[in-house]
Amino acid sequence: MNRIIAFASRNIKEMLREPLSYIFCLGFPLVMLIIMTFVNESIPPEAGMNNFRIDNLSGGIAIFGQTFVMLFTAITVAGDRNGAFLARMYASPMRAIDFIAGYMLPMIVISSIQFLITYAASFIISLITGIELAIGGIASSFIAMLPSSIMFVAFGMIFGTIFNEKSAPGICSIIISLGSFLGGIWFDPDSMGGFLLKLCKCLPFYYCTKMVRSSMVLDFGFEKFILPMIIVVLCAALMSGIASLVFRMKMKADLA
Amino acid sequence: MIAIEARNLTKKYKMKTAVDCINLKVESGELFALLGVNGAGKTTTIRMLSCLSAPSSGEAFICGKSCISDPAAVKSVIGISPQDTAVAGNLTVRENLEFMAKIHEFNKEKVNQRVNEMITLFNMDDVQGSRAKTLSGGWKRKLSIAMALISDPDVLFLDEPTLGLDVLARRELWNAIKLLKGKITIILTTHYMEEAEQLSDRIAIMINGKIAEIGTLEELEKISGKTGLENAFVEIAERSKK
Repeated sequence: MNRIIAFASRNIKEMLREPLSYIFCLGFPLVMLIIMTFVNESIPPEAGMNNFRIDNLSGGIAIFGQTFVMLFTAITVAGDRNGAFLARMYASPMRAIDFIAGYMLPMIVISSIQFLITYAASFIISLITGIELAIGGIASSFIAMLPSSIMFVAFGMIFGTIFNEKSAPGICSIIISLGSFLGGIWFDPDSMGGFLLKLCKCLPFYYCTKMVRSSMVLDFGFEKFILPMIIVVLCAALMSGIASLVFRMKMKADLA
Repeated sequence: MIAIEARNLTKKYKMKTAVDCINLKVESGELFALLGVNGAGKTTTIRMLSCLSAPSSGEAFICGKSCISDPAAVKSVIGISPQDTAVAGNLTVRENLEFMAKIHEFNKEKVNQRVNEMITLFNMDDVQGSRAKTLSGGWKRKLSIAMALISDPDVLFLDEPTLGLDVLARRELWNAIKLLKGKITIILTTHYMEEAEQLSDRIAIMINGKIAEIGTLEELEKISGKTGLENAFVEIAERSKK
C-alpha cells in the first residue's frame, strides 16, 4: 500500500505542476460552461430547448471534463513509458498492481476536484441566471459521476499503455469527440430519435450523461437513473479490468 | 565474495544476437566497466543483470540471487541509473529522492535520513528545492545516481553515466562515483576510454555482444601488447573481428 501511495503522490504532483493540466482539465470545461450559458441565453424560450440550461449543462460539462482527465491519464502513462522512468521503476520493488492503482487513484481524485470546481462554477451561474440548482442534486451527481470517472481514467490507462506519447492524445481526442457528441452533451439524443439515438445507446457515454443529469434533478427512476447506472458501472468495471490486463501484458512484454 | 555472476548469458532478438554467451564474475566492492562501442551489447547485459530483460539462455546471479527465478529478491539489492536520466521532472530533487525511498517502503525517519545522506554525498544542498526538469545534465545524472543509491543497494548499475555531459560535469560525476568505490559493487557501461581507465578496477571489452577480454588496465595492455586503454581496445577489437 505504501508503494501505491508513493507512486500516486508522485503522479498527482506531476499533474498539478503541469500547466497544461489546468488548461485541459479545468480551463477548457469552464470556458465551455460559460460559452454554452451565453448560447442558452441567446436561444428564444419558444424554441423549447433547454439542453444548455445550467441544470442540464453542468452534468454534461462534468462528463466532458472527465474525457480530458482521460487524455491526461494517457499522456502521463505514455510519457512515463516513453522515457526511462518506467525502466527505473521496473527495477524497483514496484509490482503491476502498484503501477495500476498508482496511476488510476490520483486521476480519480483529480476528476473529483474537477467536478467540484465545475459545479461550484455552475452554482454561481445558477445564481446569476436565476435557475435553481439543488444542493442535494449536486451531492448525488458527485456520487453518480464516480463510475464514469473510473471508466474514463481506465480508457486513458489503456491508450497510454498501448500507444506512445504522440499517438495516445490523438486516439483520446477521438473518444473526446465521440463522448461529447454521442454522449448527448451538446444535444439531446432522446429528442432526435432514429439511428442517432440507437448509436448513442450503443456507447456508454450517453448513459454517463443521462445518469448525472438525472441525479442532478433528483430523478432516480429506473429508465433515467438505475439502468444508466448499471450500464456505466459495468463499463467502468470492464474497462478497469481491461486496463489492468493491458498494463500487465505490456509490463511483461517490456521485461521480456 | 562474488557479487555478480553471469553464466553463458545470452540475449537474442529474432535474428540478432545482442549478447552472446557471456561469462563474468564481479567481486563485492569492485567497480567493473563494460567497455564497448555503441551496439556492443553493454546496455542489454545490464538490463538482463537488473531483471529488466529476460535472458534467452544462460543464468545470472546478483549476490547469490537468481535474476531468472527470483527477480524480486534481486530488485531488493540493486539500484540502477539508466542511460536516460529517469527522474520525475516536475518533482524537486528532494521529492524525487523521497519518492524512491518511499517506493522501498522506508519509514518516515529512514526516508529523511537516506535523503539527507544522498543530498550531502552529492553536494545537492543548493538544488534540493529545484524541480528536476530545470536541472543541468550533470545535476540530473547526479540525481539519477542518488535515486539509485537511496535504497542502500549492494549492487549499482550505471548505464553510460556521463553520456552527453560536458567535460566539467563529467569530471565532477567521476569524483562522485569515485567516492562510492569499495563501498558498493558497481557495474558501469561506457564507451569513453578515459572513463573506464579513471574509474574501473577491471574492464570487460565487449565486441558484437561478446566479451573479448576481461582484466585490469595493465592486464589488457599486456594482452594486447599496446600502451593505454584506447590502443589496447582497438587492438583487441581488431583481433576479435578476425
